[in-house]
Amino acid sequence: MASKRIQRVDISKDLRDRLLRRGLTTSGDVVTKSSLELMKLSGCCGLTTDDIFHKCCLVHASKPVRAIDMLKSKDSIIRFFATSLPDLDKVLHGGLPAGTITEVAGPAGCGKTQFCMTLSVLATLPECHGGQGGAVLYIDTEGAFSARRLLEIAQCRLPDQFSDEKSLKWLASSVHIDLVQSCTALMNRLQNIEEDIITKNIKVVVLDSVASLVRKEFSSVERGMMRRTDFLLTEAALLKYIAEAFSIPIIVTNQITTRYGERPPDIHVHVEDAGDESFCGGLTAIETDGEGSYMTAALGNTWSHSVNTRLILQFLPADRRQILVAKSPVAPFTCFDFIIKDQGVVQDGIPAERFQSQISASDMDQLAAIKVAKRNVRVGRQVGLGWARLHRDLLQVFAAADCCRMLRDGRAGSWRVRFWGKNTRQIMHLTSDDVCLWMVWGILLRGSDWTPF
Amino acid sequence: MSAGLSQRELITFPLSPAVRAKLTTAGFLTVADLHNVKPSELSKEVGISLQEALEVVKIVTGEKRTTAAAGSTHSSVSALHLLEHEQSLPSIVTFCAQLDEALGGGVALRKVTEICGAPGVGKTQMCIQLAVDVSIPEELGGAGGEAVYIDTEGSFIIERVVDVATATADHCRRMAAQLDNSLDVDSYNFESILSGIHYFRCHDYIELLATLHTLTNFIQQHPKVKLVVVDSIAFPFRHNFDDLSLRTRLLTSMAQNCIKLATDFSLAVVLTNQMTTRFTPGLSGTQLMPALGESWGHACTVRLVLYWQDGQRHAMLYKSPSRRETTVLYQITTGGVRDVVAKAPTSRHSDSVEQDSDGSQESAPCKKQKLA
Repeated sequence: MASKRIQRVDISKDLRDRLLRRGLTTSGDVVTKSSLELMKLSGCCGLTTDDIFHKCCLVHASKPVRAIDMLKSKDSIIRFFATSLPDLDKVLHGGLPAGTITEVAGPAGCGKTQFCMTLSVLATLPECHGGQGGAVLYIDTEGAFSARRLLEIAQCRLPDQFSDEKSLKWLASSVHIDLVQSCTALMNRLQNIEEDIITKNIKVVVLDSVASLVRKEFSSVERGMMRRTDFLLTEAALLKYIAEAFSIPIIVTNQITTRYGERPPDIHVHVEDAGDESFCGGLTAIETDGEGSYMTAALGNTWSHSVNTRLILQFLPADRRQILVAKSPVAPFTCFDFIIKDQGVVQDGIPAERFQSQISASDMDQLAAIKVAKRNVRVGRQVGLGWARLHRDLLQVFAAADCCRMLRDGRAGSWRVRFWGKNTRQIMHLTSDDVCLWMVWGILLRGSDWTPF
Repeated sequence: MSAGLSQRELITFPLSPAVRAKLTTAGFLTVADLHNVKPSELSKEVGISLQEALEVVKIVTGEKRTTAAAGSTHSSVSALHLLEHEQSLPSIVTFCAQLDEALGGGVALRKVTEICGAPGVGKTQMCIQLAVDVSIPEELGGAGGEAVYIDTEGSFIIERVVDVATATADHCRRMAAQLDNSLDVDSYNFESILSGIHYFRCHDYIELLATLHTLTNFIQQHPKVKLVVVDSIAFPFRHNFDDLSLRTRLLTSMAQNCIKLATDFSLAVVLTNQMTTRFTPGLSGTQLMPALGESWGHACTVRLVLYWQDGQRHAMLYKSPSRRETTVLYQITTGGVRDVVAKAPTSRHSDSVEQDSDGSQESAPCKKQKLA
């Protein structure tokens, strides 16, 4: 990208030879020199060097586009890759934006790979089925990709489309897997990726995961961290370039790391708090349960700057999981529930608008659930979701006995909460603020053998 | 012409070492020696090519002229003149009244402003908002100009710009209706805003340097440009740099370029910067600070740090030549950057107050934009 040979610059042959003799082989070399250095190297006077410098700049300078033309022209308009999760697609203006990097971060087993495989299936579908109608390049560093699962997702999702052997074979042959085992290999792969993208008509690139190799190979000695940052940023620049040059979405997965110790009480806290806000607990009582640690997406702050969109996956009680839009140039902070089924990742059936849920809670770890619930409340505050939606999880825990139902009362900010306990039935009128604190403390004080108030 | 000028030594001119040496050996030492010397004569006497000789004469006489001109007017300006000039310049509003207040009416023209912040805190949103706001007509207190948007990260999503531009255009039309002084704002819609945003995409630092260098020509052709945004300055400069002193030099020269742009064309330059984690040996824990090092910190006139606290976005005026340091709240809505409406203590690092969940967040975008 960076090197345009000096032969291409419109200067006299004599001058060019002089520059070449001095080791200035690309116009990039010229641009980074000061005019004094140029004078020394070329042996020319000020006006000529200014002219050389200007011409080299012209070679490199990018061309301006008016925003209105970007919007109008069909080519440069950013297409979106629909994820098939309706709510997510809606806030992202139609899906993952092409030409940018989307990161999917989450704890182990939360569904990152499932998410990527679902997207791989979607990408191969023809455009009439909401796909990209192209091939997928799946760079796998963890060996987690399963072809069988890929076909299962496809079959369950579109039974008609994938009924016979032939179509399945076609699907399997349009997903290209690369097993990469070292950072050097990964870098090589990325540098030679263009050929494959062109010849195989790749429409989506998946890198699963960006973290595993890097975390394995670079030690945390300070020098090592610097090299790691450099590696990551180079990788990011390369990925961005590929994404943009071919106008395709790039999806990378990232791991979650635990940080020990108190979060230091300076700006740092709040920033971490924000970028990865949902993982920071936040309930004092929970923090005393012995860990003294908090969770955040791996690879540090610098990497977080490099991704354009960040989605965080996390566990909710029962089989449900949550997807959270933590960074996006188009979407606000939002979260949605999803579940992993035979047909891959699907949005949870409970519509976002209905403040009502029933759940059997026998298999629920209460403390963990409170943690999640409280976390959701914090996130939700930033998002500005409806109050009941936020506290639904809390209520589920609270009403562990059987189930609960919440209804909005006539007045704003007031709620009627109904609990069905083992033997009792309880209705309460509460204000928003009360309910939250009161319930958390109720559970903590009374423990798991809660009886209706 | 004063005698002092013609006594200027030739070695102080931007001449190449080889030519300079030849001139010296041939006995040309001062400007006076070159007085009325023709290029052909010079070439013969000194033993350099005709082109080189012509260039030497051009450089020397050219510089003489400019120094003489500068000498006669002695281009210092009185503070009164500067004050009048500054007051006549509009600023670019952010649509967050508190932030505008903190910045003294918005992002100032003729100044370089740096916006630092953690990932996802809203740097790009702020830039998009500013790029749109610069187009607000002068009748409504805006700058009525165009914007240059240099994107190094690829986060400029046109759909998002349409959102912000539509909200801004609606707001301006409402304001014009309120003012009711028969303003013609019908032509002011998101399309007209978008046609005033010139987008450059740079993939590495060489492209960025080159683009900034050629921007002078571009702005001469588009004199309505009142804002140059670089989002972000940090990304291209944070990898593939083995030679840190080269990086520092390039950054300073770029900062100089920006300041020159800002003052020459009376426009605002807004740069964004990332935050980096610093390990301080001896101190436990880590600190978050703007990237690109200490010396870069001096490059910008105004520095704004965006960060999160208690689930709210805060903007801290970290460095400014004219305003006191403060911290204000802001939020980002579908329509762009706005005030946080309900209460909340400003200019404080208060860590207690838990925000009421619904109230402030779901409220409509604030319409408190003031007229300059």
